[in-house]
Amino acid sequence: MTADTIGRGGVRRGGRALPPAVSTDKLPESRRRRFRWQPAWLFMAPSLLILGVFVIWPILVSFWYSLHNWTIGATDQPWVGLGNYVTLFKDPQFWNALGNTLEFTVASVILLVVLGFLTAVALMGEGLVSRIFRSTYFFPTIVSLTSIGLVWKFMLDPSIGLVAGITQFFGAAPIGWLQSTTLALPAVIFVAVWKNVGFTMIIFLAGLKGVPQERYEAAQLDGANRRQLVRYVTLPSIRPTILFATIILTIQSLQVFDLVYVMTGGGPIFTTDTLVTQIFRDGFVNFQTGYASAISWVLFAVIMAISAILLRVFRYNDVD
Amino acid sequence: MKRKIPLIIGTVGVMLALAACSGASPSGQSGGKVTLTVWTGFTGGDRPGYAQIVKDFNASQSKIKVVMDVEPWDTIQQKLPSAWLTGQGPDLAAPSSDPNVIAQYVKTNSVLPITDTGSGASQIDVSNIAPALIKEFTYSNKLYAVPANYATLSLYYNKTEFAAAGIATAPTTLAEFQADAQKLTLGGGTKQYGLALADNATIQMWPILQWMSGGDIVDATGCSVLQTPAGQNSLKTWSDLVVNNKIAPVGLTGAEADSLFSAGKAAMEMNGPWAAPGFKSAGINLGIAKIPVGVSGPVTLGSTAPLAISAKTKYPQQAQQFLAYYTSKAVQKKFSLATGFPPIRTDLATDPQLLADPIISVFASQVADARLYLPHLTNATQVDANGYVPLIGQITRGKSVATQTAAIAKTINALTGCSS
Amino acid sequence: MSTSVRLAPIRRRWRSVGPAFKWILLSIGLLAALIPFIWMVSGSFRSESDLFHNPASLFPTSWTLHGYQGIWQELPFLRLLLNTFIFAGVTTALCLLFDSMCAYALARLRFRGRNIAFWLVIATLMVPFQVTLIPVFIELFHLNWLNTYQGLIIPRATSAFGIFLLRQFFVSIPTELDEAARIDGAGHFRIYWQVILPLAKPALATVAILNFMNLWNDLLWPLVVTSSPDMRTLPAGLTLFGGEHVTDHAVLLAGATISLIPLALAFFFAQRYFVAGVATTGLK
Repeated sequence: MTADTIGRGGVRRGGRALPPAVSTDKLPESRRRRFRWQPAWLFMAPSLLILGVFVIWPILVSFWYSLHNWTIGATDQPWVGLGNYVTLFKDPQFWNALGNTLEFTVASVILLVVLGFLTAVALMGEGLVSRIFRSTYFFPTIVSLTSIGLVWKFMLDPSIGLVAGITQFFGAAPIGWLQSTTLALPAVIFVAVWKNVGFTMIIFLAGLKGVPQERYEAAQLDGANRRQLVRYVTLPSIRPTILFATIILTIQSLQVFDLVYVMTGGGPIFTTDTLVTQIFRDGFVNFQTGYASAISWVLFAVIMAISAILLRVFRYNDVD
Repeated sequence: MKRKIPLIIGTVGVMLALAACSGASPSGQSGGKVTLTVWTGFTGGDRPGYAQIVKDFNASQSKIKVVMDVEPWDTIQQKLPSAWLTGQGPDLAAPSSDPNVIAQYVKTNSVLPITDTGSGASQIDVSNIAPALIKEFTYSNKLYAVPANYATLSLYYNKTEFAAAGIATAPTTLAEFQADAQKLTLGGGTKQYGLALADNATIQMWPILQWMSGGDIVDATGCSVLQTPAGQNSLKTWSDLVVNNKIAPVGLTGAEADSLFSAGKAAMEMNGPWAAPGFKSAGINLGIAKIPVGVSGPVTLGSTAPLAISAKTKYPQQAQQFLAYYTSKAVQKKFSLATGFPPIRTDLATDPQLLADPIISVFASQVADARLYLPHLTNATQVDANGYVPLIGQITRGKSVATQTAAIAKTINALTGCSS
Repeated sequence: MSTSVRLAPIRRRWRSVGPAFKWILLSIGLLAALIPFIWMVSGSFRSESDLFHNPASLFPTSWTLHGYQGIWQELPFLRLLLNTFIFAGVTTALCLLFDSMCAYALARLRFRGRNIAFWLVIATLMVPFQVTLIPVFIELFHLNWLNTYQGLIIPRATSAFGIFLLRQFFVSIPTELDEAARIDGAGHFRIYWQVILPLAKPALATVAILNFMNLWNDLLWPLVVTSSPDMRTLPAGLTLFGGEHVTDHAVLLAGATISLIPLALAFFFAQRYFVAGVATTGLK
């Protein structure tokens, strides 16, 4: 693709393919043909530029930080090489946060995929009732995590919350969900599932509607029973949808922050501490930017690895 | 669809143009008048008090205009270090509600040493500001911030619940305090707790309990004393009361403890003057008393927020002039009367008007006995987050005080650089 | 409808469990989805003492407006609303344009480096925002974009998720359509603009709504980029009512309610497109 690169004004500029900042549409006929192979980069230029400047470059900068004992504002940023990563692997708080993050992710993704699939199947109909149910299920998706985290935090409060009110009404002692070292993480997972089940349902609805009817008919002719239809027709047909839902939810869940921050702040005693809350604490509360950057890079690697495993498991081959 | 694109581009263009005009930095000089920006995190009930100081200052002279911008402490914590690094930040700021954070800014040379001190009209009258606070903000003999406020903690109590339990007055000694807390706990805490006690995301309450019972967190050299017999004993008395006698629920945040007390589900809470308006509006029969006297005399927690000047401000002179006004006697008196905070100035301690105020007088009378939380300690924020808070969390959930304090002492000593 | 026939087998499974049971479960889910919102709105009208004394009640036993009064008096409300609309609206418009262009190239054009570009875009989804916060802040400073609309908008003017979603949709459009257009002498831009985009309206609607929603709710970004109250967005403005020892629940719940209202209205009117939109993207 570097062969035909021509600079503006027809002067050959050498091998680099930097797209000119003009739309091919406005170029004279004769020149447009020469650029024809190139518009892909032109089309992608705005997005790639923005992502490059505001996401990719900053993450590389943060890698640079992670090799230093970097403190924001300090005049001296001593080089520590991989020292932060070594410290990290000996840091019990890091392993605790990683464990919580994985627990949160596995539990919420499995629950979401299963519940999303079941509700999608149950509410496929085009009747008014199904439509109303679908819309209602979707509604929690539109609220911000910070507002709804606050509302749930209040609702789960043992002295003013509705949940405590109901348990008291039935004569039981109110439970301090978010104050309990064993119940806090499940409570946060519950709220995450509550919020995203409608979103997952919509994704599955899209997938289910795309399954060709003929496949069911063919399987039925072969004498498949209902269970077998689901097992051998529906699930394989929506495999790409399952993959899409799983990957998107996994990537999101591994980065969980807002909900935990609002509901528990990572407590009690770090039982809901996740990697991003630890990054936040070390980076912005304890001023250890270098160390926080190292955690970020480990998180980044974890996300990449898990995504790659998922793609492998689902044998994703869609790029070309 | 096709016709919309010019429209979109047009709109974007107009927006950007608008933005370019309106987005200029608010800090600067116009018409001979200097504008100073101040960031603070005072979102609570005391916010109007600070706003009033700024308003009065702007009205008092014509050379300087101060613009105060209030944001949550979290946001300031995230933005301020990079904002000050780039020189883009405010001229002045209260970087955190935690006074120890100023050490970090001193270390990175982000804050300006305050030099314009003295008793002159436009000078910062350091000698009349509470010495503990000046000491807290002094590093290598240079003062880097003035106290934006000074609060002590008092004992709020619910008079109705005290009467119902047959207790006539608020507890004045440690023994009374512990006895009352048990007497006021009804149904093992299901009906009512004796004390609303927060251990995370809160103004520190547990250190007061420890101090009252003769314990402490670290010694003068920064070494943990939690694991010493006195330290363990001070923690154990209280954690036993929480675990066995259920005098307080476990794991509350500050806001949750306030709710519990407001709901009438706890009979006492130790808190600062900012809590009074909320408690009153919750409709409880509110009493305010001094913290009960501990084994080695009266003690309570003092709390202050630093107000510092950016090292990169263009107007160090004017910024200090504002601080001089802020800390001046008349201004602080007005602030105390408006917010219920005790005055930061020692020369207001005997002011008859402040003494006559039933709320301010309680808080002000404890200033002399107030101690700061981990003052001047290396890595104090981490000692709190990774040491003290988890320790209290563990022992109030029934873990052994001896084992936990031994483990946490190691963590703390590693953070503070204590070698012993 | 063909869909109901298509899923007959699965639906019959449900039938064997019993339709009554299915609808009971679904109704419990419906209540679970709605009750927090009812509690939030009702809580915003409840006095502190009502909340404390009747925690089991879903509705106020005595009404108060002080939550809303507090917000109305303290905040420049219309300005916040305007800023939020500018931020969410303009950014969404730019996002649609840039995302669809990028998706078009990734889905319809063959060129070397396409896979790399695709995976690069996907990889940006995996970067938590907190990680890039400090470097981005310093970049915005060097661009002199802090506390400006362009600083708020441009870094957010493309979304990897949008690109991914649109790419998946564009891939599913038959290539014969482009070829027919190309024979008529259309260039890439015209194919993109006149063939692909009109066919992609449902997918565009989805991306628009998802983006608008996220931007409207975004809290940390506007807080970080803006510093003057004039530039604040609504969620950022409402954070002024939270804090360690701020316990007025009615004010906080009123804030949550207010920031939800515009989205709820938009959802009410647009949900038909939205649910239909995602459903027809035929995600793969």
